[in-house]
Amino acid sequence: MSTAKKGMSIQRKSNLTGWLFVSLAVIMIVVFYFYPMLQALLLSFKSGTGMNLEFVGLDNYKRLFTDTTFRTALTNTFIYLIVQVPIMIILALFLSVLLNNSQLRFKGFFRTAIFLPAVTSLVAYSVIFKYLFATDGLVNKFLMNLHLIQTPIAWITDPFWAKITIIIAITWRWTGYNMIFYLSSLQNIDNSIYEAARIDGASATRQFFGITIPLLKPIILFTSITSTIGTLQLFDEVMNITKGGPGNATTSISQYIYNLSFKYSSDFGYAATVSYSIVVIIIILAFLQFKLAGDDK
Amino acid sequence: MKKLLTVLLASFMLLTACSSNTNNANQGEGNTPSGSNGSKQEITVWAWDKVFNIGAMEFAKKVYAEKNADLTVNLVENAQNDIIQRLNAGLNSGTTKSLPNIVLIEDYRAQSFLQAYPDAFFALDEFINPSDFADYKIGPTSFNGKQYGVPFDSGVAGLYVRTDYLQEAGYSVDDLQDITWDQYIEIGKAVKEKTGHDMLTQDPNDLGLIRMMIQSAGSWYLKEDGKTPYLKDNAALADALETYKKLMDAGIVKVISDWSQFVGAFNSGDVASIPTGNWITASVKAEAEQSGKWAIVPLPTLANTESSVHASNLGGSSWYVLNVDGKEAAAEFLKETFGSNADFYQTLVTEIGAIGTLKAAAEGEAYSAPDEFFGGQTTISDFASWTEQIPNVNYGMHTYAIEDIMVVEVQNYMNGADLQTVLGNAQTQAESQIR
Repeated sequence: MSTAKKGMSIQRKSNLTGWLFVSLAVIMIVVFYFYPMLQALLLSFKSGTGMNLEFVGLDNYKRLFTDTTFRTALTNTFIYLIVQVPIMIILALFLSVLLNNSQLRFKGFFRTAIFLPAVTSLVAYSVIFKYLFATDGLVNKFLMNLHLIQTPIAWITDPFWAKITIIIAITWRWTGYNMIFYLSSLQNIDNSIYEAARIDGASATRQFFGITIPLLKPIILFTSITSTIGTLQLFDEVMNITKGGPGNATTSISQYIYNLSFKYSSDFGYAATVSYSIVVIIIILAFLQFKLAGDDK
Repeated sequence: MKKLLTVLLASFMLLTACSSNTNNANQGEGNTPSGSNGSKQEITVWAWDKVFNIGAMEFAKKVYAEKNADLTVNLVENAQNDIIQRLNAGLNSGTTKSLPNIVLIEDYRAQSFLQAYPDAFFALDEFINPSDFADYKIGPTSFNGKQYGVPFDSGVAGLYVRTDYLQEAGYSVDDLQDITWDQYIEIGKAVKEKTGHDMLTQDPNDLGLIRMMIQSAGSWYLKEDGKTPYLKDNAALADALETYKKLMDAGIVKVISDWSQFVGAFNSGDVASIPTGNWITASVKAEAEQSGKWAIVPLPTLANTESSVHASNLGGSSWYVLNVDGKEAAAEFLKETFGSNADFYQTLVTEIGAIGTLKAAAEGEAYSAPDEFFGGQTTISDFASWTEQIPNVNYGMHTYAIEDIMVVEVQNYMNGADLQTVLGNAQTQAESQIR
């Protein structure tokens, strides 16, 4: 041992120790993340059923552009994204500001109640939503008893309403989750800023847009990126509530990947191509969001 | 340095401990057969549906234990989707260790496994004789002239009807024997008018009815090679779609979106008939109060398609042996039970209502027993005789891929698009997806 110690400066030794600590994590990430990613990229240039995969060059990528099901899945996913993410972010922001009010009683109860959906199982809540929104389900009964509608709404079997159902479901599931981020960063905002604003005569609305929003900006950016990624990977809800139907009116990209791999004669090559298309889309969207909402410089 | 070494050693220990743990877990599950040389052998079976498929296997296990007590059969119940997923993943990665010896695969999907993983399944020609089984089962279960599957349940379809509703509308069961779908729709309208009940349920996402119609005419989504999409210029399919539209437009259909609503609709007496596979019998009989109010008549035919017969199929599956250690034992097990034992099939009929496709079984006693629930009708022997008439079609590899395309196009057609355009679009999409 003592011979090894010689010729190694303290500096180098501690560096080495550091690297060794890091190496475990690095090796794990490389083996379980980067290597599969590379393999998937290679796979996306192959096509064929099951084991009969062969290299087809860019054929899979060409097929993407003519694939109407892929186009529908992409459109659906973007509809979810464009409609659902803003609604959810605004709702979460609104709720967090309400719940941050120091005069509010039973704060803990309300916070827990709104956060609770985020810890329920995706499949369990989807199944319950499916029954709530069935044609003779609770939601329709409720609306009919209130005389808001005359005939039951086909929440699951109508292409338009099925999308609405999915959007309601994911909003219910994820709003509380995003709200927690806002709440925690709201608590970091110094109360004296608000005090000063009040003394200057700023209204509550003015305070919200002039102080709260700018100070929450990094968190808003963070939640909108994670929500975007989450929506692009949407799977459980669609699979369980509508199975992608009616027709493919609610299919998401992830569900299409699942279908290509497991429902149809499995073509893992093309499924990998579709997966990579999501990667590309996420990179572009994240980049855009950074540009739009990130540093002003 | 010493500390460093300790850390490294510790982490390696941890890693090896983890990996050996997983090995142990695998053996614990009994997925790895304990070698084919020993006298004691173990095989694993994967299937879905606890009552039906697993139930049938339980009986097979009992029957076989009398002949060969050395074989332990582990039954693992998995949802059908999970089985497909695990099979695909296992076969693709080439690690057969986690795979079972015997697996149940739906006939519609069988070819996609047999063709996609050519060496993964064990040919059973030395164990069973394909001609002992209903003809239509052989297409899906064989590949390249070799028999890979032991045909199991018949998906033979019939039309379940509520005799009391029909009577109220002025019809007897005899009026529904050997009718066409067009006549069926007319009767449905009368039933709706007189009793207020819908004639049947339909899930717009499930074209089972159209599949039954085209198979009754000996046609399928694919040509006989099982590869070429056959949607455009498929006269039987066009006839089926026209009939389907007439049916949906007649105002006699209760639209549903899943299985539990499907079962709920006839159990609660909402609908007057169910055109479907015989495996629904158990669910129909689950509502004991409706005893004596049901009858089963042959499936209607397509009015404008000559080749359409009063027999078709919906679903049904078969047993496959994987090409892994223990395959001979597994094949032997299937041979002695599902593969040849007509008495065993009598038990299946009486105990779980599963109708097999072994021809010899149809002559057994249990098959000719009357069923009081269906007004004393000999339902099993009726189904067995219809089974023999089911046209043999090649389901090919792509039934579900095409079905998903069709579901969308059929919706367009329902909303007023032209039939030929719809079929043409479907054909183009199918061609680009299937290669």
